[in-house]
Amino acid sequence: MLPLLQIQPGILLLIGLAVTTLLFWFFWPMNGGLALITKLIRNNKRALLEDALKYIFDCEYNKTSCNINSLAGHLNIAMDKATQLLNRLTTLELVTLNNQSVALTDDGRSYALRIVRIHRIWERYLADQTSVAPADWHHEADRIEHVVSKEETERLAAQMGNPVFDPHGDPIPTAEGQLPKHRGVRLNTLQEGEMGRITHLEDEPRSIYEQLVVLDLYPGMQVYVTDVTDKKITFVAHGEECILTPLFAGYITVEKLSKEETQAPKQELLSSLKIGENAEVLGISPNCRGSQRRRLMDLGIVPGSKVSAVIKSASGDPVGYRILGTTIGIRKQHADQVFINRKN
Amino acid sequence: MEDTTRKSKGEDIISAANSARWDLGTDFHDSIIESIYENASHIARKTVKQVGEKEAYSFDLKVDKLVTSKWLGFPMMFLVLAVVFWLTVAGANYPSGLLASLLIDTMHPILKNLAASINMPWWLDGVLIDGAYLSMAWVIAVMLPPMAIFFPIFTLLEDLGYLPRVAFNMDNLFRKAGAHGKQALTMSMGFGCNAAGVVAARVIDSPRERLIAIITNNFSLCNGRWPTQILIATIFIGAVVPASLAGVVSAGAVVGMAVLGIFFSLVVSWGLSKSVLKGEASSFSLELPPYRPPRVLQTLYTSLIDRTVIVLWRAVVFAIPAGVVIWLIANIKIGDLSLAEHFIDWSNPFALVFGLNGVILLAYIIAIPANEIVIPTILMLTVLSTNMTDVGAGSGVMFELDSIADTANVLHAGGWTLLTGINLMMFSLLHNPCSTTILTIYKETKSLKWTLVSTFLPIVLGLIVTFFTTQLWYLFTT
Amino acid sequence: MSTPDNCANCPAHHKANLVKLGVNLDNVDYLITLAGNPNTGKSTVFNNLTGLRQHTGNWPGKTVARAEGGFIYNEKRYKVVDLPGTYSLLSTSTDEEVARDFILFGRPDVTLIVVDATRLERNLNLVLQILELTDRAVLCLNLMDEAKRNNLEIDTRALSKELGIPVIPASARRKLGMSELLQAIEEVATGKYVCKPPKIKSRSRKLNHAIETLSNKLLESYPGLPNASWVAMRLLEGDNSIIEAVRTGEIGNLHEEDVTT
Repeated sequence: MLPLLQIQPGILLLIGLAVTTLLFWFFWPMNGGLALITKLIRNNKRALLEDALKYIFDCEYNKTSCNINSLAGHLNIAMDKATQLLNRLTTLELVTLNNQSVALTDDGRSYALRIVRIHRIWERYLADQTSVAPADWHHEADRIEHVVSKEETERLAAQMGNPVFDPHGDPIPTAEGQLPKHRGVRLNTLQEGEMGRITHLEDEPRSIYEQLVVLDLYPGMQVYVTDVTDKKITFVAHGEECILTPLFAGYITVEKLSKEETQAPKQELLSSLKIGENAEVLGISPNCRGSQRRRLMDLGIVPGSKVSAVIKSASGDPVGYRILGTTIGIRKQHADQVFINRKN
Repeated sequence: MEDTTRKSKGEDIISAANSARWDLGTDFHDSIIESIYENASHIARKTVKQVGEKEAYSFDLKVDKLVTSKWLGFPMMFLVLAVVFWLTVAGANYPSGLLASLLIDTMHPILKNLAASINMPWWLDGVLIDGAYLSMAWVIAVMLPPMAIFFPIFTLLEDLGYLPRVAFNMDNLFRKAGAHGKQALTMSMGFGCNAAGVVAARVIDSPRERLIAIITNNFSLCNGRWPTQILIATIFIGAVVPASLAGVVSAGAVVGMAVLGIFFSLVVSWGLSKSVLKGEASSFSLELPPYRPPRVLQTLYTSLIDRTVIVLWRAVVFAIPAGVVIWLIANIKIGDLSLAEHFIDWSNPFALVFGLNGVILLAYIIAIPANEIVIPTILMLTVLSTNMTDVGAGSGVMFELDSIADTANVLHAGGWTLLTGINLMMFSLLHNPCSTTILTIYKETKSLKWTLVSTFLPIVLGLIVTFFTTQLWYLFTT
Repeated sequence: MSTPDNCANCPAHHKANLVKLGVNLDNVDYLITLAGNPNTGKSTVFNNLTGLRQHTGNWPGKTVARAEGGFIYNEKRYKVVDLPGTYSLLSTSTDEEVARDFILFGRPDVTLIVVDATRLERNLNLVLQILELTDRAVLCLNLMDEAKRNNLEIDTRALSKELGIPVIPASARRKLGMSELLQAIEEVATGKYVCKPPKIKSRSRKLNHAIETLSNKLLESYPGLPNASWVAMRLLEGDNSIIEAVRTGEIGNLHEEDVTT
């Protein structure tokens, strides 16, 4: 007989098991062998250079000063490496050095804007069209921005309808490099009794951003400040009371609202509607984005429309809602995003 | 000149639009849709009047409550599907036999005689009549009747409005696997024909879920594979139990295979949605249309044209060259042995590790165009490689035997055991889709990458499953 | 090939002046496009007009490819293009893009909008969007028999006045209302009936202002652009095909060729 069959079945079985496991590991997309190899091949030098440009651009945009110390701190590299990096940037004529402060040249600025555009478009994509967790959007986009091509990003932008804001509320520069002026005020400058709409959550440092995500805060959300002291700011967002230190609140940018623009603070969810009950739609949570939001609106889920829960799937999950004369099955996870006003 | 001024005018307008977009903020799309709905409801209020009760919907609602009820929903669904499959298998038996006796038993000898009377060279006669014609005849005889029954019934259920309710009921299960409820339908459609199932995935509107439905459709045991399953289960699995139980046990084994297919379909969907297909669009909504009486005649006509004929045509187009190849490899000789025998001898050691044999591997390679010709090819190759002289119709001529006992004798002579039978059943469930389906996947996804994934993923799974079955079997029996 | 004579068994439109052409589409005089929500019987209307048998599934998203057919009415040849059924034209799905681009760039002479009479309010969402795109449209109020069973009364004259286009009640499955529909199509195609659809006004002042400013800019560059406010809205939505059309100036051709026809 042939050699392969002369091996004991038990041993062959173990070999087979090992080969199968290896195969799975190698092709597993997230951190499998193939993914690790591609990760190693990637050019780290380019990533560092682009991150530096982005940082200097951020300083310029927020009108804060930027020097070699803060750069080294931000990129988490040693001083001599930061000096090398800056020297390289100056020889490439991307930045100019004036004593201690660093400034972008026109070329440097347009390079930085290109990276910012790629970064924010991918964040938008990750938020709208994937199941990637909110705390990972920024991190993931940071990785992608150095590897994707401009063309690929433009295709993505076109397919998403050329978005103008990223999911944190930051404006996305146009392909030609236009960017609007910085707007809004910090949440910690709001007084007691004032209302605002969140326009931006600072996504760096990550530890603070994760805290804000845990509190379920997102751009588009309305806040009502109830109490301000030196140590904490208390505000109501979507019916829930939140307390933040002024430091944390400083990472949230809001647009002040006048009284007429505001909605009722406490709302019920469509998913809480029982079979046979009726309600009026108040709106869709700003947290529901992209194609899912549009689809819900196309089906008639807009403020003012009447909806009633009519049937429940045999397995319990999608519930059939009667909206404008048609029964539409909606999953609970999406019904959770619709605010209603119960009617009887 | 004019062109350049135009261009700059365009750029001017676009940049004006861009700066306006930043001012408008993110909820701009919402306010457009809201104002359209406001206008619409304003007009509707002015023009539509409800005089008396709404009759029709309360009827729909009653039916809906029934078909989606917690206790009746699933049993009803399984009953309906069981009836559809029973009608397909039972109803196709007679016309299939009729077509086979007409095309294979009657026409084939007539064509052979005709070829002999005009002194056609033996090789041309072999390639054209024993190869191309026979494989085409086989595909038509086995494929046409079940499809002509299955698709119209399925389309009738679709028109009636029952299928969306099935998707509605099944959605929870598929949601947990990261897929769309409508995949329940493409999967059921796949039991008829995988190519049709892949096309049916168009009703899934989110690209990610649609891709998952396309890739996993092959795990639905299609019409072309049912006969193989039934035959092998009867010969090998039915034989190990007392004769009185043979029928029930072998039927159970076939159903078990179909269920295993559903299990693989869900597990692979889950795996894909947790890994490679994690990052693409996902939206879900399912309209439950009102029940409408289907128009039977039109449905019969359109489902025959839209699905049956198109699928059959593609299968025939692929079957003809496959028939030629089958005849050629059985008749071209290098040394004493034909190409087929060389391959079988060479691949046997490898195949035995997976509990299969060289004949099965070769049959699955050349029968990619249609699963229907796998059994005839296996029989022909077994006879060829074991040098049996009393059965079959000559080298390169596919055949089937009238009695199951005769078929069993040939296979036993070819060295088949219960283990070979079980592995063949599994490999028949888990191998690459047929060429028609592969082509359809390419046309639907327009992506070489996903076509390759859909093609090779099932083979790899099939080899893994048969390998472990075989080695565990050896471990416990020796 | 169908001839007028074998239509004797279809009572509703044994009009001697209708010849179904199937897919024979040479030298057409008018281009008709069919649009509507899924599940409104759009394909049935298409089949009635052309004598083809496109499959009509009780299922949204059936018509994936564009179906084409034709007929002759009063000695004029009409080509009919069936668009995918959609709920809206504003989202980014492929179906909606196909429908939107065809109505805008395909420049049909008449857009026949098929709506479900029992769900008029829902369907009007799409109707109003289409009327933003094109002026020449006919509304086919299908499934009138079902509406009657539901005890719904629809004031078609008031509806026609509100929308500024002809409104024809019909029951395509029973082939009722088809001759009136053909007549309305002819009147709009030949310009005998001049459509005056309303334009959507939004509540948001900021939005109205932005649309107005942009459409004025558009009209400055391309005087006489028929749907300037719609183009402005699409620009604000970031629609790539429209941005490209503005960038290359193709948007202006829309108008010029309209004048010559």
